[in-house]
Amino acid sequence: MTTLKKTCAALLAVSMLALTTACSGSAGSTSSAAAAGTSGAPTQSSASSAATPTLDKIKAAGVLKVGVKVDVPNFGLKNTKTGEVEGFEIDLAKAIAKDLLGDESKIETQAVTAKTRGPLLDNGEVDLVIATFTITDERKKVYNFSDPYYSDAVKLMVKKDSGIKSLKDLDGKTIGVAQSSTSMKAIQNAANTAGVKVKFDEYATYPEIKAALDSGRVQCFSVDGSILSGYVDDTTTILDDKYSPQEYGIASKLDNKDLAEYVNRMVAQLKSSGELDQMIAKWKLN
Amino acid sequence: MNSSPFSLDKWERLLVDWQIFAGGFLTTLVIAVLALALALLLGIIFGMFSSSHLRGLKGVSRVYVEFIQNIPLVIQIFFLYNGLPLVGIMLDKFTIGVLGIGVYTGAYISEVVRAGIQSIPVGQMEAAKSQGFTHVQAMRYIILPQTVKIVLPPLTNQAVNLIKNTSVLAMIAGGDLMYRADSWASSQLLYGPAYVTTGLLYFVLCFPLATWARNYEQRLKSHDVQATALPQKSKKVFWGGLPELSKKGAA
Repeated sequence: MTTLKKTCAALLAVSMLALTTACSGSAGSTSSAAAAGTSGAPTQSSASSAATPTLDKIKAAGVLKVGVKVDVPNFGLKNTKTGEVEGFEIDLAKAIAKDLLGDESKIETQAVTAKTRGPLLDNGEVDLVIATFTITDERKKVYNFSDPYYSDAVKLMVKKDSGIKSLKDLDGKTIGVAQSSTSMKAIQNAANTAGVKVKFDEYATYPEIKAALDSGRVQCFSVDGSILSGYVDDTTTILDDKYSPQEYGIASKLDNKDLAEYVNRMVAQLKSSGELDQMIAKWKLN
Repeated sequence: MNSSPFSLDKWERLLVDWQIFAGGFLTTLVIAVLALALALLLGIIFGMFSSSHLRGLKGVSRVYVEFIQNIPLVIQIFFLYNGLPLVGIMLDKFTIGVLGIGVYTGAYISEVVRAGIQSIPVGQMEAAKSQGFTHVQAMRYIILPQTVKIVLPPLTNQAVNLIKNTSVLAMIAGGDLMYRADSWASSQLLYGPAYVTTGLLYFVLCFPLATWARNYEQRLKSHDVQATALPQKSKKVFWGGLPELSKKGAA
């Protein structure tokens, strides 16, 4: 009797899990619903790329939903006085909305973190993610990335009183990095070349890394330089060392091919017209 | 390439990196076992304190329970991690895990133990004392054994909660299962398989524990029936009377 009960309970648990899996799989477009768990959908998604279903959908909705950062000064930071999110990446989103919908105010921003930006794209909560998203070959397999709109090098921030002057001084020390950031790989490569052994701790948000630096849990805070510059204060300093430039791209869901192509054309256009450089200058990101 | 977050190729990439998850699973398991031992110890001690008649002990126990129960675990862990170093105490993450989660769950267990002890009729303690038992002896031999089956179900809940609560260590880069899953999922952008697998691994830890406790409770209760059914026919049998006796009594 108990074994029967046990089996029932186990079956129930597994079926519930399978249900959850299926549900979250189908939350996006129809093609992914057919695919939940298998890889049978590529034909469907490639067929849809001939038309412009995603662009049409956005035009019909009359609003472009964009995932942005709200904790990165100059890129995407919530202004506590107005409640608006401001920054270079917001301006970029506005430029796209102006072209696509004829009005730059027709954007709907949503705060994303390293953990939420993937799921939000997949379930259609956001159309685009413009959130200091570094392009890598591995990531390109999972999402569409536009050509880079900004390039930034990884830098190191340390406490002034620590006496650390370069990567060599960090031998045996711990470096705080952001989850999902590519700075860990960049620093690890540099450390290997320099013959230095470092450890890494990953945190979900930048303020958490800053807290860990202040409390002495990590001896170094390492992310992309422009992000880092927003966290400098009287007790900390950014070292001159620069590591592998990180290129930021605009991400969209993998099967929204038409949107990805459009965004890519848009980035190229903003680059050639000099608008992009103006935005970069406006937010002092040079 | 498939765009579903759960497509087959994504699972394959998880299989390649299985060691990351295995390492996290082991860390979580070790921290959970040690934290549970600490929580049980604290829970029994403070549970006895709060059911004692000494005001001082009662007060100490109340302060502990109220303070720990009414502050989120996340804040307690964050304080241990980033607050204590400011006053010169640098605990390593593993210690924070065992200590933080052990002390937190200990407060809940102490309430469970207190309720268990108070559910035993006062006469039991009085009878024990009249037989020359000291307070501690009476607790050890008379009261606590009787509370076991009463507190077992809520205690299991606490143990299962404890295991799941170890996931807050992800916040302080604790190297536990949740941290590894977050780290892997966000670097590869493959959250689908990562979190389903992680959820299953937590389930694998918690489900057997809950099942074992339920069965153990059933077993204890089945003894109960014999002992309580007996006095109706025979005159006096103590808790856990000999099985042969009960058979005779039933016949």
